[in-house]
Formats: sequence, C-alpha cells, structure tokens
Amino acid sequence: MIDFKLPDEETLLLKATAERFIADHYELALRNEMLTASAGQLPAHWGEMAELGWLAAPVSEEAGGLGLTPRQVVPFMSVLGAGLVLEPIGPVVMHCAPTLARALPSDKAAAALAPVLAGESIELIAAGPANAPIRATREGDDLVLTGSVPLLIGGAQAAAFWVVAECEGAPLLVRVPAGEASVEAYRVVDGQSAARVSFKGVRRAAPEAIAGCEEALAYGNDLAMVGKLAELAGLIDRLYRETLEYMKLREQFGRPIGRFQVIQHRMADMFIKREEAQSMVFLAAEAMASDDTAFRSKLVCAAQVKIYDNARAVLRDAVQLHGGMGVTDELPVGHMVKRLLLLTRLDGGRMAGLRRFRAAA
Amino acid sequence: MTDLLNSPGDQAFREEIREYVAGELHPDTRARVSRGAPLTREDFSRWQKSLHAKGWVAPAWPKEHGGPGWTARQRIIADEEMFRLHTPPLPGFGLKMIGPILIQFGALEQQQRFLPRILSGEDWWCQGFSESGAGSDLASLKTRAVRTDGGWLVSGSKTWTTYAQYANWIFCLVRTDPDVKKQEGISMMLIDMSLPGVSRRPIRLIDGTEEVNEIFLDQVYVPDDLVVGEINKGWTYAKALLEHERFGIGGIGRSKQLLARVREAADASGRAGEPEIANALDTLEIDIMAIEATTLRLLAAVEAGVKIGAETSLLKVRGTEIQQALTEVMLDIAGPAALAARDSAGVQEPFENAVYQFLNWRKLSIYGGSNEIQRSILATQVLGLK
Repeated sequence: MIDFKLPDEETLLLKATAERFIADHYELALRNEMLTASAGQLPAHWGEMAELGWLAAPVSEEAGGLGLTPRQVVPFMSVLGAGLVLEPIGPVVMHCAPTLARALPSDKAAAALAPVLAGESIELIAAGPANAPIRATREGDDLVLTGSVPLLIGGAQAAAFWVVAECEGAPLLVRVPAGEASVEAYRVVDGQSAARVSFKGVRRAAPEAIAGCEEALAYGNDLAMVGKLAELAGLIDRLYRETLEYMKLREQFGRPIGRFQVIQHRMADMFIKREEAQSMVFLAAEAMASDDTAFRSKLVCAAQVKIYDNARAVLRDAVQLHGGMGVTDELPVGHMVKRLLLLTRLDGGRMAGLRRFRAAA
Repeated sequence: MTDLLNSPGDQAFREEIREYVAGELHPDTRARVSRGAPLTREDFSRWQKSLHAKGWVAPAWPKEHGGPGWTARQRIIADEEMFRLHTPPLPGFGLKMIGPILIQFGALEQQQRFLPRILSGEDWWCQGFSESGAGSDLASLKTRAVRTDGGWLVSGSKTWTTYAQYANWIFCLVRTDPDVKKQEGISMMLIDMSLPGVSRRPIRLIDGTEEVNEIFLDQVYVPDDLVVGEINKGWTYAKALLEHERFGIGGIGRSKQLLARVREAADASGRAGEPEIANALDTLEIDIMAIEATTLRLLAAVEAGVKIGAETSLLKVRGTEIQQALTEVMLDIAGPAALAARDSAGVQEPFENAVYQFLNWRKLSIYGGSNEIQRSILATQVLGLK
C-alpha cells in the first residue's frame, strides 16, 4: 500500500543535518577548490559523514545500521544531491551497504559492514554493463574474475569492490580488495571522482563468494535508483527555486522578466515538473517497502522515466531562462546542470527504464 | 543527407570547393572540427589565410570590397560544403558583422583602413554590444561616451565578448545622448583594444572553456574618425547588422555536419538500428530538410522581388533547436561513455566531446537574440500581434 503521509521527525532531523553540512562545506568556491584534488584522493568529508551516522542510514539495525526506511532517507539524499556533494554517498549508502545487509545473514553483514559504516573503508558494488557482465569461472577451489566496469563513481577511492559476477548462469557477490583490481582514476563531467575498474583474472577462494543473492541485488539496485532519483528531485527543486528567484530579480525592458507571460508559463511548467518529480520519488521510496518485487520494480522504473524526462526539461529551461549567466561556471546552475546530466546518463537512461517498466508486468 | 541544391551547376560548384579545401585544410584542424573539439586561434587564422588567398573569405561581401561574387545559392552551397569538409567556421565579428556595416555605413577612410585587414585576418574584431544589465533589452545599454576635444571618452563595461582574448579591435554600442528615447541616443564606435583604459576578464563557461569575456572601458579616448556613420544612429546600424546574411542563420551546413557526425557515432557504437535512435535521427534529418526548404523558398521570394522582413527569425529558432536536439541525441547514443571529464583517462571515442558540445551549444538559443526574442519579433513584426 502506498501512503503519502508527511515526513516524520527522524526524516526532518536527518534532512536538517544535511542542510547544515551543505551550508558549512559546499559553498561554490569551496567546492571548486575540492575539484582540484586528484581523482584518487580520499573524499574530503567522509569521516564527518560517518560520524553523523549517514553511512548507516538505510541499513537494518541487525546489520549495524540505523534502520531508516527509504522514505525517510529520500529528503536527505535530495539535499545532498542539490548540494552537489563530491563524496560517493549514493554508491555506498544507497547501494553497497543495503545490498550487503540483505545478501548476508545479519551477523556476517554486521561484521562485513562495520568498517564501511564507520567510514574506515569505502566499499562499492562493481557490476559490469548489462551487455558485458563480469564473469567468474571456477578453477579448482578458486573463482577467477574477468571483466570491467568502465565508470564507477568513487571507484578510485574505494578500498574494496563487491563484484557482481556471472557464474554458471547465476550471480555471485565476491569481495575484491582494490589492490587486486586494476583501477584507472578519472573525474567525470560534474567533478566527481570515478574510475574504470578492471578484473583481469583476479583469484578468490570460492567459499568466500555469496551465492543466492539475486533478491538482495535487485533490491539494492532499486534502492540505488531511488537514491539517484532523490538527488535528481533535489536538483530539480533547487534549479526551479533558483530560476524562479532570478526571474524576479532580473530586469529587462523596465520590469522583472518574470512578468512576461512567456516566462510565466515556462516557470509554471517547471513548477509542474518539480511537483511530479517530488511525487514520483516518494512513490518509488514507498514502493521499496513492498514484498512484491515486480510491483516495486515497476514503480521505481516509472519514477525513473518521469524524473529523467523532467530533469532534462528543467535543465534546458533553467539554463535558457538564466540567459548568458546560465552557460557560465559562475553560478550554481551550471554545476547543477552537469550533475543532472551525469545522473540521468549513468545507466541506460529513459529507454532502459521504459523497457524495465514494460517487463515488470 | 540528401542535397536539395543538386543541379549540374551546383554539383560543379561543390566540386570546385571540395578540390580547394582538400589541398588547403590542415589535418589537425580538420580532426578537431570533425570531433567537435575546441578550436585554437591557430585553427582559425590558418584557415582564414587559405580562404583569403583564394578570395573566398567573405562570401557575402560585394566584389569591389573583396567578395567572391557568389550568388545567394552559391553561398548556401559553399557553407554546406565547408561544414561537410570539416573546415573551422570563422568567427563572424569582422567578416559578417563590422565589415558589412563599414561597407554600408562607414566612411571611405574607415573602409580603406579596416576592410583589407579584416579580410586578411590581420585585425581580429570582437563585439561590444551586451552589458550585464542589457541583454535581451540591448537598447538599455549604459556604457557612456562623453564629448571631449576631437572625440569621445568612453566608460562602461561589455560582456559575453567572444574571443576578446584574440582581438585587437572592438566595435561598441555606446550611449552618446542620455536624454532622448533610449534607441535614439546610441552610437557605434571602433575601439583599439591596446589603448589605456581597456581591460578584460575571462568568463569561465559551463564547458570549462573561456571563449567569452567581460570588457571594461575606463575613459578610453575614441577620436571622431572612429565613430561609425552618424552620431546617435548606432541602433539603426546594429539592426542592419542583424540583417546581414540572415539567410545563413539557420545554420543548415552546421546542422548537416553534426547530423553526419551523430550518425557515424550511432554506427560506431552499434546503436544505429535501435528504433528510438533511428527515429530520432530520421526526424531530425527531416527537420533540417524543412528548414532548408524554407530558406530556399524565402530566398526565391527575395530574388523575385518580394520583400522579406523579420520572417528569417524562424530560421534561427528552428536551426538552433535542431542543433541542440542533435547534441542531445548524441548523448543518448553515448550513454555513460560520454561522462568522463574532458582529456581525462576515462574518455571514450567517439564521444570525447559530446557532453561539452551539448553544454557549450546551450548558448545557441541564447546569443544573437535569444529564441524568446526571436519569437517576439515574429509575433510582433510578422504576425502583427502588438
């Protein structure tokens, strides 16, 4: 059942800490300074994020987390997305940690996750592209991993990868320390650190691998998507608010340009797109609580398609309505646009979302 | 895509262009243009020399001032071929803006002094129109010229000045009379950028380049002989400037080149057959055809003596929409392969410039009269809705 009740106190508290964090650390000039660090350098505020308990947010309490629901985490992720954080918070908090918490029995999950949630070890899910998955072959008691992930956000900063490997028709999760993979660091267009991570015949003892993890992987992928959609909804909201503000301030022809009807209608459209995005991300977050995986997946995909479309439309109008200022690097708009481009194109985009929506009958 | 201008005469003309370009275009420049990479000053100046040597550098100028004497049809064909062959599009500030203005309104001495240097590329011009408070509402510009002995002292600032870092001259709109209706107190002046009082601040753009600048003018002396035409007639000249080569503003050559590049990328990545990609590309090809057919139809009307006014604004609106849509389809084809930062270890051919071109080309619908302004021009001047 989908319930649209208002956010509870825990949700608001978490969101408020995120807002304070952004205000303290992510003023544009400070962020620009962080961009000059090498792509492999550890993220600047990871320790603080761990201390705030963020890394443990959506992980169950049995596995050592705070046990917050996706619905409770969405506003927080929206603030961090709109704040343009450079730490790999989505890949760790919304993907790797909750996936492991489900894939492992709770005692083992707690042990595996302890250094991750404490901020001592950045660990990521590493899955190959859909058309070129990473393969695991058995050689005696060993598994041999071959394949690569062309773009892994945070990949250059990770201490270990949880590799999703195809083995005899089923997926396995195999932990590989970063030192055993080949990691080529680079920055992506919005300034986040990333890497191409390759596994060239990496050997692990077969019993270390986690089998029977399909359900956990599917849940983790959906939750990671919800995290991404929360970031996008936050970006859409901030672009909308900043553009609206500019329409009231910028004067041409003797009046604020927001008084021209053509601008008013476009701002009204942007408002509609922002409202839809907020609704759809909550819908997707609520759906995460469902035991019906097809239902859950269908709603998450629906939110993906709608929010990707709205994000692209808002991107175009936010830049256009800012005029020349919109194409500079001097306002937050330009930086938000790059984040938005990245987030909507990390996976197969709207086409992949539509295909999955259709498949999840 | 299909060439609409394909009579035997057209084909012979195309062949002539191709032959010359093949022998002249530097391979490095060609490679950068074909990949959508940022172009260097050298790319432009080297190519300008080649075109100048052949007498092709200013297609729309009258023959007596150094133009090639091409018909409007030949100019369209030349533009298309030049883009197809990956020649760098030369910045138009001298060749398409101040040059034609001086031909139409400049004093003889100004023409003799400046036109040959524009053709040869010895002078690099930039445009001082927009100000931070005067963009779409250009006529509200505030840069002031105050009368002094033998000339004017100009103070104020200009912005979005493309390639000012390469320029030695700037043509500016300045306010010479603050007490009349705002369009009637503006003059056009030619300013030597090396003069004391002229300074520049580069503006970093969303794609990481610094192709535009802010220009500051502090008590810069402009002698009377560097005022264009009459004092307080600058607005008329600025409007005339926007009408030059107005049949070229659809950017058909540019769109066709980009379409070809996107198709190549679709083929290279094995995605050309996907229905979404194929539909998007074919639709855009038809969009380009529609804008080309419209250009040719308007041109035929002009040649038959029909007066065409602001209708050409439609070419800018649709042309820029098509070009921006093409950069977006390119991103759809690339997916994550386009997301690495420029020149980083993660770049993947042929998508190494795709995101940056998408970002950079957001400007197309903003500069030169935003698409909102163009639609207002259509609505008021063509449709009579005012």
